[in-house]
Order: sequence, then structure tokens, then C-alpha cells
Amino acid sequence: MKRWQTKASLLAGAFLLFAGWNHPASAADKKYTIALIPGLTTDAFYITMHKGAQAAADALGVNLVFQGAPKFDPEQQVPVLNAVIGRKPDAILIAPTDKTQLVSPLKNASGSGISIITVDTFIGTGHYQTGSGDADFPLSYIASDNIAGGQIAARALAKAIGEKGKVYVSNVKPNISTTDQREQGFKEEMKKYPNITVLETQFNDDDANKAAAQFQAVYARNSDLAGVFGANLFSATGAANGVKQAGAQGKIKVVAFDAPQSIVSDIKAGNIDIAIAQHPAEIGFYGVVTAYAHLTGQSVPPLIGTGFTVIDKSNLDDPNVKKFIYSE
Amino acid sequence: MSEQPILRVQSVSKRFGGVHALENVSVDLFPGEVLALAGDNGAGKSTLIKVISGVHRPDEGKISYDGAEVTFENPQKAREQGIETIYQDLALADNLDVGANVFLGREPMKRVLGLPVLDRKKMRTEAAEALRVLDIRINRFDLPLRSMSGGQRQAVAIGRAIHWNAKVLIMDEPTAALGVPEQRKVIALIKSLKQSGVGVIFISHNLVDIFAVSDRIVVLRRGQKVGEAATQATNSDEIVRWMVGG
Amino acid sequence: MSEPPTANRKLQTADTKPPSAHPIDELVSERTTWATSVRSTVASMRAWIFLFFLLVGFEIWAQLAYHTTFLFNPFNASSIAVFTVGPLLLALGQTFVVISGGIDLSVGFTMGLAAVVFSKILNLSMGVLPDPLALVVALVVALLASAVPGLINGLLIAILRVPPFIGTLGMYGVARGIAYLMAGGTTIPISNPVVSFIGNQSLTLLSIGDFRVSIPILVLVTIVLTVAMVFMLSQSRFGRHVYAIGGNRQASLRAGINVTRNTIALYILSALSAGIGGILYTARFTAGAPQAGETLLLDSIAAVVIGGASLFGGSGTITGTVIGALIIAVIQYGLVFVNVEPFWQFVAVGVVIIISVLVDQTQKQLSGARTDE
Repeated sequence: MKRWQTKASLLAGAFLLFAGWNHPASAADKKYTIALIPGLTTDAFYITMHKGAQAAADALGVNLVFQGAPKFDPEQQVPVLNAVIGRKPDAILIAPTDKTQLVSPLKNASGSGISIITVDTFIGTGHYQTGSGDADFPLSYIASDNIAGGQIAARALAKAIGEKGKVYVSNVKPNISTTDQREQGFKEEMKKYPNITVLETQFNDDDANKAAAQFQAVYARNSDLAGVFGANLFSATGAANGVKQAGAQGKIKVVAFDAPQSIVSDIKAGNIDIAIAQHPAEIGFYGVVTAYAHLTGQSVPPLIGTGFTVIDKSNLDDPNVKKFIYSE
Repeated sequence: MSEQPILRVQSVSKRFGGVHALENVSVDLFPGEVLALAGDNGAGKSTLIKVISGVHRPDEGKISYDGAEVTFENPQKAREQGIETIYQDLALADNLDVGANVFLGREPMKRVLGLPVLDRKKMRTEAAEALRVLDIRINRFDLPLRSMSGGQRQAVAIGRAIHWNAKVLIMDEPTAALGVPEQRKVIALIKSLKQSGVGVIFISHNLVDIFAVSDRIVVLRRGQKVGEAATQATNSDEIVRWMVGG
Repeated sequence: MSEPPTANRKLQTADTKPPSAHPIDELVSERTTWATSVRSTVASMRAWIFLFFLLVGFEIWAQLAYHTTFLFNPFNASSIAVFTVGPLLLALGQTFVVISGGIDLSVGFTMGLAAVVFSKILNLSMGVLPDPLALVVALVVALLASAVPGLINGLLIAILRVPPFIGTLGMYGVARGIAYLMAGGTTIPISNPVVSFIGNQSLTLLSIGDFRVSIPILVLVTIVLTVAMVFMLSQSRFGRHVYAIGGNRQASLRAGINVTRNTIALYILSALSAGIGGILYTARFTAGAPQAGETLLLDSIAAVVIGGASLFGGSGTITGTVIGALIIAVIQYGLVFVNVEPFWQFVAVGVVIIISVLVDQTQKQLSGARTDE
């Protein structure tokens, strides 16, 4: 639970920051430029993150630059990063697309005096400012705690299926830090339910068609299947369509990770039962605030975890829940 | 031999930039005649047949076909009139069968349940007929040409030209890519073409072939016609002398 | 400047014996023997045989390991059929392109573009027009939109003579960018009951007591399209010319085939086939996603090649492609069914594709198999 503590401390820090901002100090005279480089530009998650970052930038009077590649791919991200570095921003918020390949370009940026903060994903181990390793130079890592997210998904699914039966994880592909952690958290939490069996994970290459067929193949041999955890958007929509094609809606519960509009309409239509929404706007907001805090001489925590909201049919229209649905 | 030439090339010149590819060349071709075009590389043989088949247009001079002056905008127009060219690379689709190749681009259609469909049967029977006329036998009409010998393929190309009523057949090195036995078959084929009244222009490096099949020999050198003789009235030494300008 | 007398090299004396007068019978080569024709039949049935053994293999595996049936389970059959729809629709148009000697790398994102345009237009027109009319408008606009990348591919390749690999790779980027821009980077949910019905319901064709034969509408639509494609490729002049262009482009030009127009038509057909794939994807998942076809591209090319088409052009059939798509789907589905560890599934699919293509190459070298429909 250390992550939630760091989050609380940041909230306090942010509060102080706003308080301080009302009394213009010398730092406020300078208009800072902060760049946000997402994992990919064409994803509602990062688009929502951008909105949160923009809100913070507007409030703090910071100039925010948003630039990225259309694909989650270091080969495409590094040139974008170098172009951004060329414009000499004061700080860079980046969702690194590879744990190791992004280390050296970011180190160069850091060496030339640009403050680096990673959001959503990390470089090295994700433990920064420890004085060990060559990837500890970023100031902070701000992200959803994906292991915790997987645990939340497991608890929600367990409850929905009456804590018994067979379930499996529909996942993208191995070795993506975030989805691996969701699966890990899900499986760990499910160990607490003796009557639930977790079957082999199915990898679908982010193809809903394949995820649907995999569901049907698993279901064809396991007629007592009770639930599926879709570790990302297409894993979940694919599995949900498999349930629909099999005519097993209601009987088999589907939990989706992430909450773009299409997942919400799937919940309304009864295709998906539960969605675990991350808070990407929070990540963007805290990213800018943290960078600003550092630039104005405040100390910042090296790890900030943001929360989740569990969405289902019952709370879908609650404004407090609705705000966590990713916007376009 | 017929009195009226089917094709008449009169004082044709063709220049590419400063190079005279053809200079004041005149050639006549009569129905049922095999005219051999001899000459070294770059002598202008290819340019001449390209001018005749509509690939190039002459800068000077005129071409008459079947008694009337003609200008072909493209090879397609020449072909429609009955001037067919068989190239070294055969211009056949190796992946298709005999019928498909004979009818390539002019496939007959029939109606089945109101829908237009390819008339495969017609293509096969008519292709077989076209080859039979030339005394060519091929036992499998449903296999792609790639499974056939070079001579058989040459026969299909010639059969196609005949099926579409070619009156003038231009053959550019028809024997070049073939082994000796196959070369002989093609020579025999040209002789049977002659019987059917087609005028053949035959380009070859091979004087044996030229003397075996032609009625008349025209020799080009550096774009000019340097010699012409009835095949019976000349010999290979004279032709070579003309070719090399000795 | 005198030219070297190359004629001398080839010169032979003219007084050698002239060729025999009756050699034409020798033209009949005996290369087309009985053994060849058996081999060619086996070669053209190769994909069918492969699929047969695959199904039997999974059946035995399921019986031995789990005492259950793989083959005689209608749920498996219908799941595999639905699974095949997406890759097959991309592969149908791709078959024409590959036979013509080209390749279309843009189909994946043309599919995404159609999915996004269809969803957008459907959502825009739903409030304004009655539901069925909104559907028709969305269909027409989505198909027109998907034809555009095909038209541009065709113009680039046929007129500017850009290599297909490069031209369609460029269009892959453009279609993808536009699809993402239109979608605002997210998937677009739709809520038209007719569309959702088409995407997820089955039609009962036969019902005798408890015995019912029903078929998912998606699969039915795909079957109709496949039959139309078979007809177009095997029975129309256009189809014949596609083979000719792939076999020998120069020969096609000299035979008076309008290669330019046919090439443009090919790429439009490929794009439309992908566009229909995108629309059916949207109907099924009730959401249009720009990346709908991203992962299907390679499966579609694999299906075409496993089905017997040569990437060098000139050969291939739609029925082969259907079998190829089924082979890929059966492997992927079957391995999950018999519970093979996920990492081995990747390996198995790759190995099968390689073996299949290798077998194809050797068979082709051994025989003069028929290569068209």
C-alpha cells in the first residue's frame, strides 16, 4: 500500500503548490514548457491523459506540448523524442515504449538539463532516484498500479460469479509491462478463492476476432466456464463477442480492463459486465504538477500510483463514475 | 507467287536523335512468301519490324498494306488489320492453357442462366482446330504452357496468329531460344504457314535457317538496305559479305 | 565506326542438310504423362488434404486426451466459421491482387477505415434518417470510402508503375492515419439493432424436430461474396485477364488486354473486399475500430499462399484461399481447444505456414499443375 501513501503525499504537495501559486514568486514569471510524449497518440487512454495534463498546464500557466508516434513502438517513439528534445523543453513527461531502448536517449535529455518523468510505463526497474543502475535518473514514475488493477478485477469477477467456477485471462501478448502486471495481480488475487480455477491465459495479438475465437474454443471444452478477464480493450471486446456468439450472455461474466466509450456501450448492451477504469487524466494531471513542482524547486516523490474505478451497469450513470470514462 | 504485294515499305527513314536507325529502306512482301531479314546487331532489323508493326512511326516514307497506304497508331491497330508479330519471348502467358493463350484478350463468352461466362469449350476446340490446320498436335489442352516444350509454345504463338487471320506474320528470331531439334520443327512450321498464303518476315542470325526457309533475303547494314536476292540465286558467302560490308 | 561482325559467330554453312520435311509430329512432347497428371491432381488438392488431416488430427487428439469430439461439435464448426470471416474477406480481394503479381499491404487499414467511416456515418445519420435508411447510407458511404485507397493504389501501380509493395505500404500509412484521425484515436460504438442483428444472429435454414441447421448471418454473407468472387475469377474475362497479367504482363499488353484498367480494378476490388470486412467487423463488435484489420493482414496473405497462390503471380484460386483461411483458423482454434500452451500456439501456426508453402513450392516444381480456376 506504499503507492497509495505516495499518492496522498503528492496530493498534499499539489495543494501547497496551488496555494503558493497565488503569490507570484520569481519562478512564476518564467513560462515553463513541458512536453508530454505518450506511448501512442491514437489511443483514448493517452488522449484522456493529455486532457488531464492540459488541465494542469492551464491552471499552472505552463506551455504543454503533446507529440507522439501512432504506434506503441520504440523505433517510432525515439525520433519523436529527439525532435522534442531539440526544442529544449524544461521537462518531458514520457510513456516509454521500451524499458531499455529509451534509457540512453532519455539520459541524453536529462544530461542537457531537461527534467524527465515517466508516465504509465517506465524505464529500467521503475525505481528512480535510488543511486543505483543507469536508469534511475527520471524524477518520478506516475502510473496506475497495474498489479492492484488486476487484483481489483479479480475481486470484481469473483464476486460476480459467486466465488466459484473456471475463469481465464484474455491477454494481448507476453512481455508488455502493464498487461503482464494486470494478469499477475489477477492470478495472485484469485488464489484467495479456493473454488475458482484459473485456466491457461490466451494471447490474441490485440485482435478481437482472435480473442472471440479463443473464448469459443475454451468454452467448447469447458462448459462450466464462469468468467473472463480481458486485460485490455480488444481482449475484452473479443471475449465478450465470443460470449455473445455462444449465447452465453449473463451466464459467463466478462470483466474488461480500461473504459473507453465502446466498453461503456458494451456494458449497456450487456456484453460486458464490469470495467476497471484507470485514471489516465489523473496521471497526466499529476505528471504536469510534479514537473512544475520540481522546476520551481519543490521535492517530488519518485513513485506516484493513481487509482481505479470499477464500473458496471448499476453505477454507469453516476456522475462520479462517468467522469472516469475515457473521452475522445 | 502473287503479283500484288501484301505489304510494301517505300523509302522509309527513322531517326532516333541523331542516329539514323533506318535510311531510305524499301521492302516488298508477297502473300505466301517468306522474306528473311538479315543483318548484324544494330543493322536496323528490329527498327524496321517495329515500324511495320506499329510500334514506331516512320519519319519519312510510307507503308502500304493490302494495296492501301496505312499508318498504325499502335501495335494493336496493326494486329487488328492482320499484321501479327511473334516476339522472341513469345508473348504467351505461361500459366494459362493453349485455349486461353490463343484467345488472350479476345475471350469468347456464352450465357449460363443469364450470366456471361467464359466459353472454355469453344476456346479449346477452336484452339485445337487452329493448331490442327498447321499440322501441330498437342495432347493436353488443359495444362499450362509452362509444361510444354519451346517448340510447342512457338507453335501456339503461331497458331494464335493464324487463328486471328494474320496475313503478315513477323517472326523475330523464332529459333533463337530453341535447341536444334526444336529449331527444325519451327522451320517446318514456317513452311506450312507459307502453304496457307501468309506472308512471313523472318529475322534470324542463323544463315542455315534463313537458307532453309526463305524465298528472298534482304540484308540491312547501318540502317540501309545493302543487298537483296532471291534465296536460290545467292549463297551464304554473298550474304555475309553484305552483312559485314566486306 | 564499324560494329563487330557478330553474325560470323553464329554463322553456319548453308549447305548442311536441310531439316527433315515432316518433323511436326515430334512437336508432341511426352512430358504430360499419367504420373504427371496424378501429381498435378494431388498438388491442386494439397490444401484440401492438409485441412483434412488437420481436422482428423485434432479429432484424435480431442478423443484421446479429453474423450470429447472436436469435429462433430456444431459449436466448434460455427465458431471456426465466424473466426474465418475477417481474414477471409481480406484474403478474397488479396487473391486477385496476388494472382496479378502484386500485393496489397493496405487492406488491413482499409478495413479499419471502412469500419470507422461506417460507424461514424451510421451514428450521424441515425437521428436524422429512419434506421434502415441510415444503414443503407452508412453502407454506401463506407464502401465508397474504402474504394478510395484501392483506386489510389491502382493509379500508383498501374500508371506511375510504383512497385505494389511500396505503393500499398504507403497507402497502409495513409489509410491508417485517416482512420485514426476520424475515430479520434478510439473505437466508435454504434447502436443500430439491425446492424447488431446481422453481426451476431444466425438464420435457421432447416428445422426438423430437435434437429436444426442454422448459420450465422456473417458467415452467410461471406459465402455469398465468396461465390461471387469464384465466379468473377474463374468465369469472367476480368478474371482470365488477372491470370494473364500475373503470368506475363508484356504478353497481356500485346494481346490487347487493358492492363492499366484491369490493375486499377484489381486494387479497388481488394479494397472493397476489405471494406466489407470492416463493415462486418463493426456489425459484429458493435463498434468500429481503426485497427480492426491490423493483425489480419498477415493471416490474409498466409491464407492466399497456403491456398496455392504464388507470390510471383499467375496462379491461385479463391477456393484455395478459402481452404487456406480455414486451415489457419482451425489450427488457431484447435490448439486452444486441445489446451496447448499459448507460446506453442505461435510456434505451431508459423511452422504450418512454412511447411505449407514449402510443400507448395516443391509440388509446383514437380508438376505442371493447373494454376487457375
